[in-house]
Amino acid sequence: MSATGKTYGKISGEAVPLERATRLRAAIRAAGLIGLALIAVIVGFADAIARAPADAALVGQPLMAPSIAFPFGTDVLGRDVLSETLHALSVTISEAALAMIIAILVGGLFGFVATRLPWRSGYVMRWAAGIFASVPSLLLAILLVGLSDRSFAPIAAGLAAAPFAFCRAFDRARALARSQHAEYARASGIPAMMLLRRDLAYEFRDMFIGVAARALAAVTITLSTLSFLGFGAVPPRRDLGLMIAASRSVYLEAWWTAAFPALVLLLIILCARLAAALEEGERP
Amino acid sequence: MGRFGLWQAGQMLLGLFGAVLLAAAVGAYGHDGAGSFLSVVMARLVAMGHGDFGISVLAGTPAWNQLAARLPATLSLAGTGALVAFIIGGPLGLVLGAGRWLRAAAPLIQIVAALPVFCASLLLVWLAAIVFHWPHPPYTDASLLSALLHQDTKALSDILWAYALPALTVGAAGAAAVQLALRRAAAEAMDAPYRKGLRLLGLPALEIDRLYLAPQILAGLLAHLGEIVLALLSATAIVEWVFDWPGAAVLFVKAAALHDWPVAALVLLVFAAIKLVADFAGAVGARALAGESAAP
Repeated sequence: MSATGKTYGKISGEAVPLERATRLRAAIRAAGLIGLALIAVIVGFADAIARAPADAALVGQPLMAPSIAFPFGTDVLGRDVLSETLHALSVTISEAALAMIIAILVGGLFGFVATRLPWRSGYVMRWAAGIFASVPSLLLAILLVGLSDRSFAPIAAGLAAAPFAFCRAFDRARALARSQHAEYARASGIPAMMLLRRDLAYEFRDMFIGVAARALAAVTITLSTLSFLGFGAVPPRRDLGLMIAASRSVYLEAWWTAAFPALVLLLIILCARLAAALEEGERP
Repeated sequence: MGRFGLWQAGQMLLGLFGAVLLAAAVGAYGHDGAGSFLSVVMARLVAMGHGDFGISVLAGTPAWNQLAARLPATLSLAGTGALVAFIIGGPLGLVLGAGRWLRAAAPLIQIVAALPVFCASLLLVWLAAIVFHWPHPPYTDASLLSALLHQDTKALSDILWAYALPALTVGAAGAAAVQLALRRAAAEAMDAPYRKGLRLLGLPALEIDRLYLAPQILAGLLAHLGEIVLALLSATAIVEWVFDWPGAAVLFVKAAALHDWPVAALVLLVFAAIKLVADFAGAVGARALAGESAAP
């Protein structure tokens, strides 16, 4: 609150009127959500938009540069890069969605509930999650795939993102459990379960989109990197990471084979980051 | 400070114990000996207590020897990356902490932050090869110190060039974390009410910034040291793969792919230990700095 009675908020560190800050933040978030919605629509119609079925070779001459006939060019096997990118986008989004749900359930939701578990068992879980969060999530995902199978990659990516989400949710729920309203509720004899349900309902209303978008950004990075390293998608079902990996031998001469899948990947992560209202440079 | 340091040391030791438990469980996976999984984990724990980290299934040599041969390459890459991260991220965070500049740079930083590390690596290789006609040389294990001592300019340029692109990629990933930590700390410290109070008392702005603001900002940076180290290690893992860098992360990837669990477990343990020690050092350092510069 300023001397004139005006309330101030912050946009990227700069003090601005609260209403403007809130409006701008909402606009950034809306832009991210609209971007994700557009991506979802494209995924929904990917098979119809793509001119060639997935993994169809010799649709054109190998390594043709972008042209009107092939807007994204063709790859080393003569596959249409635009069609392949659309199919890979579908695979990436569907696998990322599964991984995101796992990260939200195991990390976000369970982390929130763990604070109220009896005998302080939640604190033991917070400690264990902190250990897992000390390891780069990519290595954790690789470990989980190594312990199981490459088809397990979406689950591994979700589980790898879960420890960080668990710690964040746990710390937030702990702050809520110690807040004034919680003290008042306990003093008034309101059962702990009812208080938890109330906090969960408000958390879901206020934070769900942010938590989900954050998880989507994190798992998309992990999943695509897993595929790039050969631990994710299994050909012929290619995702964006695997497309980029496959173009490594030719991309110095044929830039389009890697550039378009990478741009689409960048767009997904950027939209998710904006929808989560992450600060510039903040870890998802 | 003493109690705080002890508390933080306790937290770190507890974390290290957890990391050892995790490594023992991973190392015991796929054992073909007698006894239950739990008994094998216990046996691994006891062995690790005696400095025995198991035998590499693939190489048949102690896992520790495998790691010891690869760890210096990883640490030197992460260290050079950290240097780049602080050189780029430091001034960036301080400039952007003022607020107005950040408004202009925010979209660019968001795009850079959204670019996965492997895409950034490939982009840099492409730019170097096609735009600047500087093909990336392979990794060299020649010592920088020895090249400097012998004034071997050819070896020196080979080493620096071999490090340039990998270190730049790792540094760019670390710079995002450094600028964020600095920016948050700078924005918070600049808004502190004691700044205005000290100005009213007649202290020059430069003196206030040097004596009170700078330590606060540095403390803010140190408080996020663990996060910065994790960002550097995560980027190093991918950069090693892209640039054929013979480091510990590539060893881990190969060990996980070929089910060499003792080696994978040891790499995990070392990475977790580095992060936990960085958390401890950062927390204690931040407390020491913030305590000394506490505003009147």
